[in-house]
Amino acid sequence: MSSSERSNIKATGRVLFDGYTPLEATWDELFAGEGLEAIRPAARPVADHLNALTRADFRRLKRLADDTFLRSGITFTLYDKRGSTERIFPFDLIPRVIDAKEWEHVERGIVQRIRALNLFLADVYGDQRILEEGVIPRFLVEGSKAFRPQLMGVRPPKDVWVHIAGVDLIRDGEGRFVVLEDNLRVPSGVSYVLENRETMKKTYPALFRDSRVAAVESYPHKLREAMNAVAPGEGGRKRMVVLTPGPYNSAYFEHSYLARRIGCSLVQGSDLFVDNDRVYARTINGPTPVDAIYRRVDDEFLDPKVFRADSLMGVEGLIGAWAAGNVAIVNAVGNGVADDKGIYPFVPDMIRFYLDEEILLPQVETYVCAREKDCRYVLDHLDELVVKSVNEAGGYGMLMGPSASKREIKEFRKKIEEDPRNFIAQPRIELSTCPTWTSKGVEPRRVDLRPFAITGDDTWVLPGGLTRVALRKGSYVVNSSQGGGSKDTWVVETGR
Amino acid sequence: MISRVAESCFWLTRYLERVDCWSRLLDVNSSFSLDIPLATPERWRPLVIVVGQEQDFLDRYGEDVIEDAEVVQRYLVWDPENPSSLLSSARAVRENARTTREVISVEMWELINEFWLWLNGRSAKRLYDRDRDAFYARLNSQCLMFHGTCYSTMLHDTPYTFITLGRAVERAGQTARVLDVHHHALNELDGRSPADAAQWIAILRSCSAYEPFFKLSSSVLGGASVAEFLLFDRTFPRSVMHNLDRAAVLLNQLLKERPEALPSASRRALDRLSGSLLQMDLDDVMQVGLHETVTMIVEGTAELCSAIQSDFFPAVDAVSPIGRRVEASPEPTAPAVSSQG
Repeated sequence: MSSSERSNIKATGRVLFDGYTPLEATWDELFAGEGLEAIRPAARPVADHLNALTRADFRRLKRLADDTFLRSGITFTLYDKRGSTERIFPFDLIPRVIDAKEWEHVERGIVQRIRALNLFLADVYGDQRILEEGVIPRFLVEGSKAFRPQLMGVRPPKDVWVHIAGVDLIRDGEGRFVVLEDNLRVPSGVSYVLENRETMKKTYPALFRDSRVAAVESYPHKLREAMNAVAPGEGGRKRMVVLTPGPYNSAYFEHSYLARRIGCSLVQGSDLFVDNDRVYARTINGPTPVDAIYRRVDDEFLDPKVFRADSLMGVEGLIGAWAAGNVAIVNAVGNGVADDKGIYPFVPDMIRFYLDEEILLPQVETYVCAREKDCRYVLDHLDELVVKSVNEAGGYGMLMGPSASKREIKEFRKKIEEDPRNFIAQPRIELSTCPTWTSKGVEPRRVDLRPFAITGDDTWVLPGGLTRVALRKGSYVVNSSQGGGSKDTWVVETGR
Repeated sequence: MISRVAESCFWLTRYLERVDCWSRLLDVNSSFSLDIPLATPERWRPLVIVVGQEQDFLDRYGEDVIEDAEVVQRYLVWDPENPSSLLSSARAVRENARTTREVISVEMWELINEFWLWLNGRSAKRLYDRDRDAFYARLNSQCLMFHGTCYSTMLHDTPYTFITLGRAVERAGQTARVLDVHHHALNELDGRSPADAAQWIAILRSCSAYEPFFKLSSSVLGGASVAEFLLFDRTFPRSVMHNLDRAAVLLNQLLKERPEALPSASRRALDRLSGSLLQMDLDDVMQVGLHETVTMIVEGTAELCSAIQSDFFPAVDAVSPIGRRVEASPEPTAPAVSSQG
């Protein structure tokens, strides 16, 4: 251990994990029970290392880490009457550790899932076999807000729709990884995975030297490879850009970060134009053709000619150029129909239908209110279930039955009765916890996991992913808009 | 290179140069006005005029305080509603850096970001209250550090050319403005009183030209020699001529790689400005009047900027919702201090 990581532990200074007690009936990521001897094997070196720190040491490291984020501008801006302040996204310095052997299984499960979802999208905008054969009710697909009938018959380069996927996982009470939802449109957060790792390396250099933590740094290269693989045209240097809504978008940092790491230009809609079904960038030396666009602009705003006419962030004619096969759009347009919360319950059927396999990573049992029987069950058990609106994200439009007030339940009942198709419900899962630094020392806080998968010629899964943590005591909601923070996720080799 | 990004690079250094120039000008003006009783009572008003904000200042603060050193400095340093305040310029520097992060170096970004966090935080205000000189000196050294960092860490390719071009063009204009702030003193060419000497030294200091002037100039300290040095000396990095020379080299680099069919109005605008300046010597300047000469330079650089704009970043029909560039102030118009003389 280096001296920068640790000052002398005073006889009275409490060490980090003293008195840490996992919650009842909940899986803890690091501890199988109370006391240091209950540490899980993959987390042993981390726990030993961190436990040599006093709380004062830890507080100091935390300040250093926060400063690093602030200095490098990994921030969002809060505006008020007196001006603006830069804030960082809360980051917890205790990593979440996953055994590499367990990870292999997760990885296989994600690859399988992405394959099926890709085939589903090609099918939905193509022959619609899965609807013809009644495996998934047609009204659910065609009634989805994210279904884009304008795209029927479009085939993106190499038939890849989901180039970048963020598959949200949670662990149930027994510690099994379970898929909570898919993000196949413009999943965000990967820059935090990469920056969190950088910060952790600066904070615990010695620990990194001694541990076998799987590297995450190849993500931008994999993304570049995938874009290169799907960009139309033969050989040569393909011209790629990242399309951002602009510097006032809350994820602008990530857009700029990825453009830098991929080594391509960051553009806004007004920097591009389409002529004769070809996309060009406006450069200082006139128009330059573009072969692949990693877009971080939502479908609806991409092309005012096809979608929202009032969009100022898009590029007129872009969809036409894409449909003509002259440009790759990453992720493809129209993917929302596959990650719709109403379609999610059918992914196991999809996997069976397209791949003739059983699903490797289980999903959360889900009631689809569009089905009458399910709907009745949901209405009878509102106080036990988590109800989600299929068209909302970010932890909005949700009812947490077990902790909701009578009035909230009543309101939701009315909403479900008015528009059952808009809702699904799931039993509340006791999300796993991970030891997390709080103002009162280290306490268990609930976490989820968003691994990222990139698909070009084949699918690659980033080891680990973004662990989001509900920083508020007792909270199950990990979204950053609702008081969530993040942690570094370590996939660690053990005993080999 | 994407036009919008090139434009932000160009503006990044233009705003930075404003911070650089005005922090020095304010520093010199505050210490200078403590020392020497001037013949003219006007010490602060010319600054407000030259920055193009006289009307705004009068509307919001009134005639009574336009010679109040504290009110004017607060206005020129901190006022977020004054688009030319140092705070506004520094914000524009940071916003332009934020939108050019793919082309500038990590070191440049961190320097600018930290500078902004400092200036926008409490410790900068404390320093301002406690030690004004140190505050201005810190602003100044941040700007110089930026140029060094830029030179040593960034690829010297097209974005770098735009960054240095912005600096050259803005510097030529700002040096002209410094001369304008003091032109009434400079027009009295034969002054030999101690107050005059202090005035000329102040002008030189405002351009960090004090020692360079004495190293190079064979002539005695006086209004004419100071004006000549700041306008025509090709080796001094803040002189108007030096920066027009730089701009010519940089523009040539950009135009060399450019398809011939595309317009090159910037080249002509620069030639016009350099040409008319090259034809002049000090006698001509004094005959035409220093203020008029300086106005010609300021207007010429403004024309040059709009020509650069139309050559390399022409306006797009569909303007993005957030605007094309992050700009804190309109193009400052030619100053009109003469009415105050």
